[in-house]
Amino acid sequence: MSEFNIRSETLNVEQIMEQIRSRIREKRGVDYTEQQIRELAAVKLEKVLDPRSVRSDLLEQFRKAQPPDAALDVPNFSFESSTLFDSHRAIVRFVRRLLLPILKLFFNPNPLIQALHIQARLNTIQAEHETAHRASHHLFYELIHNLVVETTRLAIEVKNLKMRVESLSSRLEFNERRARGLESVVVYKTSAVDLRERAPAPADERAGAPAAPGPQAAPAPGPQAQPAEGPGQRSRRRRRRRGRRTGTPASAVMTGQTSSPPQDEASDHVARDDFENVSGAALHRNQPLSGDDSVTGATRTPHAPHDAARSDAEPISEAGPTSASDAGSPTRSEPDDSNSQ
Amino acid sequence: MKLAVVVQRYGQAINGGAELHARYIAEHLARHTDVEVVTTCATDYVTWRNDLEAGVEDVNGVRVRRFRVKHERDPRVFARRSDRVFEQRHSLADELAWLDAEGPRSPALVNHLARHAIDYDFCLFFSYRYYHAYHGAHATSSRAILVPTAERDAAIGLSIFPPLFRAVRAVMYNSPEERAMIYAIAANQSVPGVVVGVGSDVPTNPQANRFRQLYDIRGPFAVYVGRIDGNKGCNELFDFFQGYLRETAGRLTLVLIGHSLLPIPDHPRIRHLGFLGDADKFDAMAAADLLIMPSYYESLSMVTLEAWALGKPVLANGKCDVLRGQCLRSNGGLYYESYPEFIETLRAIEQHRWLAGTLGRNGRQFFRDQYDWPVIERKYLEMFTRLSSETPTRTVEPLPGWFGRHRRDLPAAEQVLGRLPTGPAVSRNDAAGQPSGSSGHSLQGRRRA
Repeated sequence: MSEFNIRSETLNVEQIMEQIRSRIREKRGVDYTEQQIRELAAVKLEKVLDPRSVRSDLLEQFRKAQPPDAALDVPNFSFESSTLFDSHRAIVRFVRRLLLPILKLFFNPNPLIQALHIQARLNTIQAEHETAHRASHHLFYELIHNLVVETTRLAIEVKNLKMRVESLSSRLEFNERRARGLESVVVYKTSAVDLRERAPAPADERAGAPAAPGPQAAPAPGPQAQPAEGPGQRSRRRRRRRGRRTGTPASAVMTGQTSSPPQDEASDHVARDDFENVSGAALHRNQPLSGDDSVTGATRTPHAPHDAARSDAEPISEAGPTSASDAGSPTRSEPDDSNSQ
Repeated sequence: MKLAVVVQRYGQAINGGAELHARYIAEHLARHTDVEVVTTCATDYVTWRNDLEAGVEDVNGVRVRRFRVKHERDPRVFARRSDRVFEQRHSLADELAWLDAEGPRSPALVNHLARHAIDYDFCLFFSYRYYHAYHGAHATSSRAILVPTAERDAAIGLSIFPPLFRAVRAVMYNSPEERAMIYAIAANQSVPGVVVGVGSDVPTNPQANRFRQLYDIRGPFAVYVGRIDGNKGCNELFDFFQGYLRETAGRLTLVLIGHSLLPIPDHPRIRHLGFLGDADKFDAMAAADLLIMPSYYESLSMVTLEAWALGKPVLANGKCDVLRGQCLRSNGGLYYESYPEFIETLRAIEQHRWLAGTLGRNGRQFFRDQYDWPVIERKYLEMFTRLSSETPTRTVEPLPGWFGRHRRDLPAAEQVLGRLPTGPAVSRNDAAGQPSGSSGHSLQGRRRA
């Protein structure tokens, strides 16, 4: 989420508004206006909602299917018992009423009158129902309209979110690769005292003397003697140990060298790693290890068994080092993965 | 110097924007010069019914001369004529008929001005769109000063008004946006004009706690002051604020002050207090965390200025050019143009107290610099002095003959309005506003700190 960068004394409303808008854009993805959303709903619905197969002319179809908005005009009339014998002329009405008993001699008009009366009432009820039905049609129309607009809005939002997830995934992947790459080249700076201690040591002495753990090379373990661990140092060490067990260096994975080296080669790497740690060769990564062959032979013996034993027996925990060499001497620099495995 | 302040309605109980504006100006100018108010007997702006007696009376130490309105407004006729001139092609005669229908039609007032124009040095006409301003300014054009109080509505697109803006001696604008709009419609840049606005008598020591106790309001709240009406954007405000309550964890309550023409949403955090007196209104604004002004059409918004005078931030409708321009010029408020912007700006003001405080302080400074009474009075008096030293040269453009007046060749006012430029009149320098020099901070950073 972006921040508002505002100078407290020289507050600029235009700037704040710009930042608020960019924040909204971040949240909502592309910032469509209501009008644009409506246009999308009306015109580009098919494209936007293709996976769901929503008909873009849904509203139009519904509108056509609706009955016209004209006022309901159902023919109807009130039918009473006297309706059959009514007339606007009084004399005719009088004569009909007078002759009614005679008419009833020929047939019984009462069922007819009742039936027509019921029919008139049914017509009225039907008209009322029809009116109510039309009113609900308007509601349905509005409902469907809103649903279509909201579906469009949601589809756009889903699309934006998908794009955002993709973007975040690629960024995450990139960052992971970058972190691995950085881990492979990072060098922990040793203290000035260690550098002084290392500086007078001649190359041949280093090559000839076994780099056995001693008071100088590996001080006594304990919290006082332990150098300050950098962030992630412990976890990297753990990863290195795990790597020793699995045998495939991360750098090899990075560089595509996936075939694991032979066992003796691996132990050779381990020994070289420890040598570098002790001798400070890790400080000069760019220089080739000129005395490799001779040095490895001298240094492998005291360290390799210990490391091998440690990697097999020691559980991976954050409880700290269990031996002097494992405690990490002040001269121990963090090797990169390619050297450690 | 003798001044006539000509306005459609006048009185202590009349709280319409332009009328209140006219009363404040009359009362403050009366301290420097002889002021007489010329007005009608009407108090109701819908009917223009003659509620008051014609004649002379004294209101707050200012002499007021009232004239009867010849006939009340017929809403049906007015609506029909409005439809014609705003939405259809029409003639000049249609527009004059619309002006008559709008009212308040008071030929006696216009005759008085025509006969006694020489008695006044200047006549200040308020509200360009009414009968009294159009005909009164024509009768006294060499002494007429117009305070248009023009909003961005269709009336500004009528063809009878541009000649009026060009004929008067001077125009006292309420805002740069109003001036830009009138320049665009009338091309009256040669007419002396100044952006003045109006001040407000804001109490120096409002009692915020008293208000909270009196109305039992706890916690932070936003206040809206004014008529609660759809035309003022209140429907949108209700929708947006309810959305804010639904979607965010905001703690604000919305307090509404004013007569309501709308149903108020039934929500425990939307409180309607009805119409309040000035003391309570200012106490409420002092107690509030911010003022929300959702109106689409404003020529000045005195309430906004009053909130700033009290050091309160404002959240305004950015679709109103004037409000947006005021926010940008003052750096005293944020604005919104859509629902997401409303939510984010409201949340920013609510959550970042330093932001609210800085906006409020900027607003207060803006009010003191631009709208304090000494500033307003000085601008008016300087204009009078300037005009007194100049010889009037402009004359009223005569109306065309009968056939010309009845030729239906004028476009619908809505069309004319649509062609006018929009947006706040803010230069980059104005927007930058304050002196620079301090380091940047971020809202998030400040919150964590």
